[in-house]
Amino acid sequence: MGSELMFFFETVISGVMAGVMYALVALGFVLIFKASGIFNFAQGVMCLFAALALYDFMAPGGWIDRLFGITLPVWLAIVATIGVMIVVAWLIERLVLQHLVQQDPIILFMATLGLAYVLEGLGDILFGSDVKPLDLGIPQGASDWALDTLGLYVEKLEVVAAITGAVLVTVLAIFFQRTRIGRALRAVADDHQAALSVGISLRTIWVIVWSVSGIVALVAGIMWGSKSGVQFSLSLIALKALPVLILGGFTSVPGAIVGGLIIGVGEKLAEVYFGPYVGGAIENWFAYMLALAFLLFRPQGLFGERIIERV
Amino acid sequence: MNQEHTGNDVLLEVHNISLSFGGVTAIEDVSFDIRTGEIRAIIGPNGAGKSSMLNVINGFYHPQQGSITYKGETRPQMKPHHAASHGIARTFQNIALFKGMSTLDNIMTGRNTVMTKNIIWQALYFGPALKEEREHREFVEHIIDFLEIQAIRKTPVGRLPYGMQKRVELGRALAAEPDLLLLDEPMAGMNVEEKEDMCRFVLDVNEEFGTTIALIEHDMGVVMDISDRVVVLDYGKKIADGTPDEVRANQDVVDAYLGVSHG
Ligand SMILES: Nc1ncnc2c1ncn2[C@@H]1O[C@H](COP(=O)(O)OP(=O)(O)OP(=O)(O)O)[C@@H](O)[C@H]1O
Ligand SMILES: [Mg+2]
Repeated sequence: MGSELMFFFETVISGVMAGVMYALVALGFVLIFKASGIFNFAQGVMCLFAALALYDFMAPGGWIDRLFGITLPVWLAIVATIGVMIVVAWLIERLVLQHLVQQDPIILFMATLGLAYVLEGLGDILFGSDVKPLDLGIPQGASDWALDTLGLYVEKLEVVAAITGAVLVTVLAIFFQRTRIGRALRAVADDHQAALSVGISLRTIWVIVWSVSGIVALVAGIMWGSKSGVQFSLSLIALKALPVLILGGFTSVPGAIVGGLIIGVGEKLAEVYFGPYVGGAIENWFAYMLALAFLLFRPQGLFGERIIERV
Repeated sequence: MNQEHTGNDVLLEVHNISLSFGGVTAIEDVSFDIRTGEIRAIIGPNGAGKSSMLNVINGFYHPQQGSITYKGETRPQMKPHHAASHGIARTFQNIALFKGMSTLDNIMTGRNTVMTKNIIWQALYFGPALKEEREHREFVEHIIDFLEIQAIRKTPVGRLPYGMQKRVELGRALAAEPDLLLLDEPMAGMNVEEKEDMCRFVLDVNEEFGTTIALIEHDMGVVMDISDRVVVLDYGKKIADGTPDEVRANQDVVDAYLGVSHG
């Protein structure tokens, strides 16, 4: 293979890695939006919060250490963090959503805006605001196998991230397609009234979707944190998820994934190949330009339901 | 015509129900009962408050006054979740199916209240959940056979013709093995043949499973044919209540339907 082509592939692969993370954040959005029509501004902060909790449970001087004099091994810390995210979901339903059931979407959106600040503040108070290196024992550095056999430079972390993302999406797909709760989730997404009439409890469903979104956020937080440390700027990847949603459609799970990949790969390629002509930093605005183009020509996104008023 | 299996015990009774939306009065001081095993029709001109009454019974609407006695327990209002888990299933006037889901999945959602495996357990461990899934699938296949909709099992219901959607919606309600089935205009917009099929299903459900049915319907022929007793609403008030023959002979009912001005 020519080195030109090789470079192209390496760029694409690192784009895929970024794309997987955008996709995961977007997936959290889509789940909540489908089930409750709420645009959850706090999704990015949930990633941050989950990563902070996970780090804290394993760190000397963290809460578990201070309370019980031990630090948790990685897998237990992950289980504990999942527990925390479920409690957070439950509290959000109890303290916020439950009281706003019949309100306009804009009010619910404002509520999640507030929620984002509360969670961020809570994360700061509980876990501190310094940058924390998250080390879960995910292999670092270049994959020797890829280097030797293909001659490609591929980060091991990127491979792990891509595989984890794929597994997570598959498990979620089975969960949604094959179980009663999954079906109930889809039912609620489709028609609230009809769902109520067959005895599905909206409140339970909301706790479940927020929990699942919390777990998806944790996975995204782990990957981002492993790459560049757990820091408060993590909550800003929520902003990158917005163009992903516009591309993929707000209600489409496959859309979130494909949208994430397109933006991840697209911005890396644009940076590498067009960056030099416009002075670089394309990565910062490429996603938004693409989203803008989509808003003009295909506002429902690639996979979103067509916006047609039924008469 | 089904008098023989109509017992005298009352399954549900509404007492002095009044319901209004802002200034609009939808129901005014209406009382009637539904006996176990009967087909009870609710009729009346457009806007009479029929659908509102069904919504009160399954807890979608909360009346400002009155009470509801269901299976011996009296409450000022029902809650949808409580109604569903205590055997009240329903269909809607404007079909409310899960449009993106297949016929099979739609009917499976009807099993929701009967599927009892703990939700947390399900989330943690797929095994038992998948087994439970298979058992309920069998039941749903029976319903599909009963309603003669095998051919559309896997079709997303949004693509089905109107008459078929109505049938699937009935299937979803039946999947709950309800004690009380509320049908809001199950035959509206159907051609003669589809209507005959639907009539047959309703009668079969009532006779074979002994399900009590409350039915809203505009087609007088159908109503008089299949119902045991009829309650008539007009402008939110009850104007008649009795057997089809009694109701047919009632002057107020005739006036209401002929549009005689209300004094
Ligand atoms: N959710 C609601 N909000 C405001 N008004 C309502 C609501 N539901 C019903 N109404 C009003 O209550 C009255 C009775 O309506 P309802 O739908 O119960 O009539 P209906 O007998 O079912 O009529 P139709 O035969 O046309 O279905 C109408 O004036 C209607 O506009
Ligand atoms: Mg009606």
